[in-house]
Amino acid sequence: MTGAIVDLSRESLPESFATEILIIGSGSSGATAARLLGEAGHEVVVLEEGRDLIGAERTQRDAAMYDQLYMDRGGRASHDLSISVLQGRVLGGGGVINTCDVVPIPEGVLNHWATKYQLEDFAPDKFEPFARGALEDLSASRIPEDLINVANAKLRQGAEGLGLRGEVMMHNRVSCRGLGTCLIGCPIHAKRNPRMVAIPKAIAAGARVLTRARAVKISKANQEVKEVEVRALDPRGYHEHGKFTIRAKIVIVAANAIGSAQLLLRSGVGNGHVGKNLILQPQLPIIGLFDERIAAFDGIPQAYAITEFEEEDNPEFGLWGYRIEAIMGTPGIVSTMLPFTGAPGMHGMAQYDRMAASLLLAPDRPSGQIEVARDRRLTIRYEQRPDHQQRLRDAAENAAKVYLEAGAREVLVPTVPAVFIRSAKEAKKAQEISFAPATAPMISAHQQGTVRFAASERDGGADLDGRVYGTKDIYVFDSSGYPTTASSHTMTPIISSSRMLTAKLLTRI
Amino acid sequence: MADIPTDDRAREGLFGFLSRRRFLKASLVAGGAILGVGGGGLLALRGRAPSVDGLRVLDDHEYQTLESLVQVMLPATDEIPIDAASMDLPRAFDAFLTGEPEHNVRDLRKALVLVEFGPLVFDKKITTFSRLPVDERTEHWNSWGTSDRLLQRQVSIAMRKFFNLVYFDHERVWPYIGYPGPSLKRQRGVTP
Repeated sequence: MTGAIVDLSRESLPESFATEILIIGSGSSGATAARLLGEAGHEVVVLEEGRDLIGAERTQRDAAMYDQLYMDRGGRASHDLSISVLQGRVLGGGGVINTCDVVPIPEGVLNHWATKYQLEDFAPDKFEPFARGALEDLSASRIPEDLINVANAKLRQGAEGLGLRGEVMMHNRVSCRGLGTCLIGCPIHAKRNPRMVAIPKAIAAGARVLTRARAVKISKANQEVKEVEVRALDPRGYHEHGKFTIRAKIVIVAANAIGSAQLLLRSGVGNGHVGKNLILQPQLPIIGLFDERIAAFDGIPQAYAITEFEEEDNPEFGLWGYRIEAIMGTPGIVSTMLPFTGAPGMHGMAQYDRMAASLLLAPDRPSGQIEVARDRRLTIRYEQRPDHQQRLRDAAENAAKVYLEAGAREVLVPTVPAVFIRSAKEAKKAQEISFAPATAPMISAHQQGTVRFAASERDGGADLDGRVYGTKDIYVFDSSGYPTTASSHTMTPIISSSRMLTAKLLTRI
Repeated sequence: MADIPTDDRAREGLFGFLSRRRFLKASLVAGGAILGVGGGGLLALRGRAPSVDGLRVLDDHEYQTLESLVQVMLPATDEIPIDAASMDLPRAFDAFLTGEPEHNVRDLRKALVLVEFGPLVFDKKITTFSRLPVDERTEHWNSWGTSDRLLQRQVSIAMRKFFNLVYFDHERVWPYIGYPGPSLKRQRGVTP
């Protein structure tokens, strides 16, 4: 049987129908599960809210791409607008819009989960085959030296000058031409992401993929056959225009830690843990301003990481500390990060080609919660903890020193008020960042938690097979299940754990 | 802004009670209060707005507010001499709203009311945003981004995110920021 991609915004809506397995979400988790289940001979349908936007339709333009590739048209944010929540909304999910960072779950974290949370399947030796499989799926390799651009080289130069540990990162690009717009999609498909690997294999194995299809409610959660209400969206994905029902024996929710919890809460499915323990891993940008042209928008935006300050086996939290990674975006998105308006804002952007920027990534404790109102409105409630604020201040102080060591004229921490640092001695000014709500342009790209895996219903929302407590064969296979942050980047962990959970499911069906 | 309190609950003032609530809800309440409590007297402060053809969601007053806002947010400067007004960014906002859920549209429109009456509400000036001279309007709008009030910072962020993204995505701006345009076209030898 050959599968297909069906765009519900352009095709007539199907009658209600039945399938053996329904997967909600086509990102790293859903696509991986669809492929493996399909290849094992099972009947699979995948739902994706976004559309299949490929090739030349990926125009490398900010406004159009944030509108079409991101949830809420790029405008999703935490409840008080303190944190911009970036979440893919396209066939292939987050792998289409990430910077291709391949960072597996560190062994320290796997041990932490296996011992502190009794997630025995994540013990390093048991998990290793699935982690290896993920690296194979991604064609993972170290970024070649000739693809390290000037901005990344500046970060590396500064780190090495100060004797800080760092590394050229692993990635999942093949035949990359350094187009630089990873965050708004690669028009030449150099990313070996779920869209280019797992989705085609799933379709070849017979999976049917419905795009512009929004799952809004799961009913009959305890029965043999579940019912999922699906709304079709218009071609731009703005408005719903029709609905139908899919009946399935097995429902796998793989819509990201926010989307999965949102659907379960909206459906009244699961226990009191659902929606809680949200991890946003908020990141703060910092900008080195140089006298010479850097042109950070050309080449791989994120190739070098300073790992000196990262702990992989903190006894209480697992992954802890912080890391500093180069980053750059197209002009529109960069301009939204600057804390100025009027003439100062124009002056800031006039230096766009002389910027070398980094993201300060500090793992956080579960500090948030997903809430869904009766009218389906979503609230992402999140309170940044003082320890997270302090690690970001420390990271900003050290990143400033690094850029100054690399020859930056000054360093900007784009908070309100803005912090300008012009010498190593001034780097202490980073300690003045208040992190009052809506004063720092923080970004969340690695949402986790919300339906925590746990051996007991008392301690989490899903069991060790990913089955949502209180349901019959409704599963979460994505980062919703992680009890603490898995890694500084979540694509590889999610593919790995989806492989593991799918393998377990295949032993039972 | 010298110090922004980290706990907004501690703050008092006209909009202090709103400070812990979601931006959109807060804007809705505040904007709604102006419309409802202030009634016709306050609305008359705005005067007549020039008629604008072809708007799909915004009314003439809202368009005028946004036009006044964009003028001070993205002014032509020596470094970037591209006038945002020539891009008709308020119309882009109007088009954006057509794709938003009804409740977001409603709330954003209330936020625009709040911006228009910002000088009265926050500075106790008997005038409106669009009627302020450009230098006073610039100073007033800058104060939103650095305000002690969470609500004003949130509105400032929301407007900056939308209008900056659209403005700096425009090819006319790129030569002044050193951006040579989308890389695929460049690699294929097509200049922006």
